[in-house]
Amino acid sequence: MATVMGIFELPAQAAGVVTKLRARGFTDIETFAPAPFPEVDDAVIPKPSKVRLLTLIGGLTGVVTGYAMTVWMSNNWQILVGGKPYASIPPYTVIAFELTILFGGLLTVLGLFVYGGLPSFKTSKAYSPRFSAEDFGVVVQCLERDVAEVDALLRDYDAMEVTLVEA
Amino acid sequence: MTPPPAASVAAMIRPAPRIKESATNRDMLAVMDGAPLGYWLLLLLSASAMMMAGAIWVYQVYKGLGIAGYAHPIFWGVYIVTFVFWVGIAHAGTLISAILFLFRAKWRNAINRGAEAMTVFAVLTAAQFLGIHVGRMWKSYFILPYPNQRALWVNFKSPLLWDTFAITTYATISILFLFVGLIPDFAIARDRSTGWKKVLYTVLALGWQGTSHQWKSHNRSVLHLSGLATPLVLSVHSVVSWDFAVAIVPGWHTTIFAPYFVAGAIFSGFAMVLTLMIPVRRIFKLEAYITAYHFENMSRFILLTSIIVGYAYMSEYFIAWYSGVEPEQTAFWLRAFGPYWISTWVMIICNAALPQLLWFPKLRVNVPFLFVLSVFINIGMWFERYVIIITGLSREYDPATWGVFIPSWPEMGILAGSFGFFCTFFLIFLKLFPIVAIAEMKEIAIHEKAHSADHAADPSAQGAH
Repeated sequence: MATVMGIFELPAQAAGVVTKLRARGFTDIETFAPAPFPEVDDAVIPKPSKVRLLTLIGGLTGVVTGYAMTVWMSNNWQILVGGKPYASIPPYTVIAFELTILFGGLLTVLGLFVYGGLPSFKTSKAYSPRFSAEDFGVVVQCLERDVAEVDALLRDYDAMEVTLVEA
Repeated sequence: MTPPPAASVAAMIRPAPRIKESATNRDMLAVMDGAPLGYWLLLLLSASAMMMAGAIWVYQVYKGLGIAGYAHPIFWGVYIVTFVFWVGIAHAGTLISAILFLFRAKWRNAINRGAEAMTVFAVLTAAQFLGIHVGRMWKSYFILPYPNQRALWVNFKSPLLWDTFAITTYATISILFLFVGLIPDFAIARDRSTGWKKVLYTVLALGWQGTSHQWKSHNRSVLHLSGLATPLVLSVHSVVSWDFAVAIVPGWHTTIFAPYFVAGAIFSGFAMVLTLMIPVRRIFKLEAYITAYHFENMSRFILLTSIIVGYAYMSEYFIAWYSGVEPEQTAFWLRAFGPYWISTWVMIICNAALPQLLWFPKLRVNVPFLFVLSVFINIGMWFERYVIIITGLSREYDPATWGVFIPSWPEMGILAGSFGFFCTFFLIFLKLFPIVAIAEMKEIAIHEKAHSADHAADPSAQGAH
C-alpha cells in the first residue's frame, strides 16, 4: 500500500478531487483543512455527523432528570401548603429546562471527542503545520500500481504538489 | 507490465516543498507575543484591586455582614446589584457566538472569541457574589440538592434555586463553547510555538489536525451548542429577573421583567464588548480584522436594545400609573423624585437617551465616541439594577419599615475588586489565548481567495454573486 498526498489551495479543489477519487473506488481518504469547510468534510463523509445522536440523548436525559429529581424530592420531604399537591410542575419546568441544556451541551462535547477522535495522541505522518496555515491536504491510501493514476487525478484538480507519504 | 515501485514514482513527482505562512496566523499570534509595559501595569492594577477585595471579604466573613451595611429593610444591597450587573454583561458573548452563528452573520467572527472570553469571566465574577452576599458563606452549599442527615431537600419552587441551576448551566455551557472554539486555534499556536508554550498548546489542542472527521464533528458540535445556548441565554436573565418579579415588592412584581432584563443584558453586554475590544484593537493593531463594519453592526444592536430598554422604562411608569395601585404609583414616584433620584436619572440618561446619538451614521463608526458611550452605558446599567433593587426594598408597603440605603465601603471595595478580578483574567487570557478566532477568520480569507480565483478564471462571472 502507498499513501499519496496532494496539496491544494482552495476548498473546492479538495472537495472536487475527493468526490472524483471516491467515484473511482478509492475510499480510504482523509483530508486536512485549516478552517471549517463543510463541502470538503461532506465529500469524505457523506453521512451526517453522529454528534446529533448524543445531543439528543443528553437533552432527553436532562429533561427526565430535571422533572424526576424535583418531583421525587418534593414527595420525599413533604411540605403541605394549603392542601395543594407536594410537587408543582410549572416551577420545576425551569429546572428541567436548565438540565436539558446542561446535559445536552455536555454530551455534545462528548460527541465531538468520540466522533472527532479527540484527544488523539498520534499525529498522522501526513500532517504538517502548513495545514494550520492555509493549505488543504488530501491523503489517499492506494495500491502501489495505482499511484500514477491518483497522482494524475490530484493534478487534474490543480494540486500545488503531490508527494508520497513515508509509511 | 509491472508498475514502477511507488518510491520511484514519488521521486519523479515530488517538487521542492513550498510552505506559505498565513497572514491571519501571523497577525493573531503576534497579539500573544511579548507584552508592553502598559500591559503589566494594568495587570498589576487589576490584580491589586482583586486582592484588596479578597482582604475586605475575609474581614467581612470575620466581622459579619453588618460591616457591609446590611440592616433592615435592605438585605440585598450592592452585592446583588453587582451580581445582576455581571450576569448581564455575560450575555453578549453567547448572543454573538450562538445566535449570530445560527443567523449565519459572518461579521461575528472577528469579535466572538473576545466576547466569549468576556462571558466566561463575567459569569465567574457574578457567581462569586452569590457567596459574598450570604451571611455564613461556609454554608453556601446548602443551596445544592444533596442527600443530608436532615433528610431535607431544597425548595425547587424558589427562584433562588432556579438561579443556581441557570447560572451553573450558563457557566458550564459558556466554558464549553469557548473551549470547543479554541481547539483549532490551539493547534495553530502549537505548530508555531516553542518551549513551555508548545507543551501547553499541545495538551490543550488535544491532538487536533483538522481532519474531515474532526471538522465534521466540530461543526456539528458548534451548531448544537449554539442551538442549546440560544434559549439558554434568554432563560438565564429571565430567571434572574424572576428573583425579583416573583416577590410582591412594589416595582418588582411585573410580567415585563423577563424581556426587560434580557434586552438590558444584551445592551450592557455589547457595551462591555466595545469597552474591551476598542483598546485591544488599538494596542494590538487589529484594525484590519475589527473594522468599521463591525462597529456599525454593534452600534445598531446597541441602538435597538437601548430602544427596548427605554420602552420598558416608560412602560413600567405607565403601568404603575394606569394600574391604580397606590403602592406601585408611590414606588415609581419615589424612584424619580425620592432619595435615589440621581441613580434613576443616571440610568435613564445613560441607557435610554445617550445611545439615541447612534441614529447619526457617522457616530456609529466613530471609535472614540463609541468607547466613551460604552463606558456610560456600563455605568447606566449598573445604576439600573441599583434603582430596581434599592428603591424597591427601601420603600415597601408599610412606611414604618422604610429606610435609606447608603453604600458602605466594603461593598464599594468589593465592587472595585470585581472589576479587578474580571480584568485580571481577561488580561491573562489575552496573552495566552488567541483573542480573535483565527480559524474562523481564515475561513473568510479562504472564501475570498476562492471568489477571486473564480473571477480570474471566468471574467463573465463578475457581478454574478
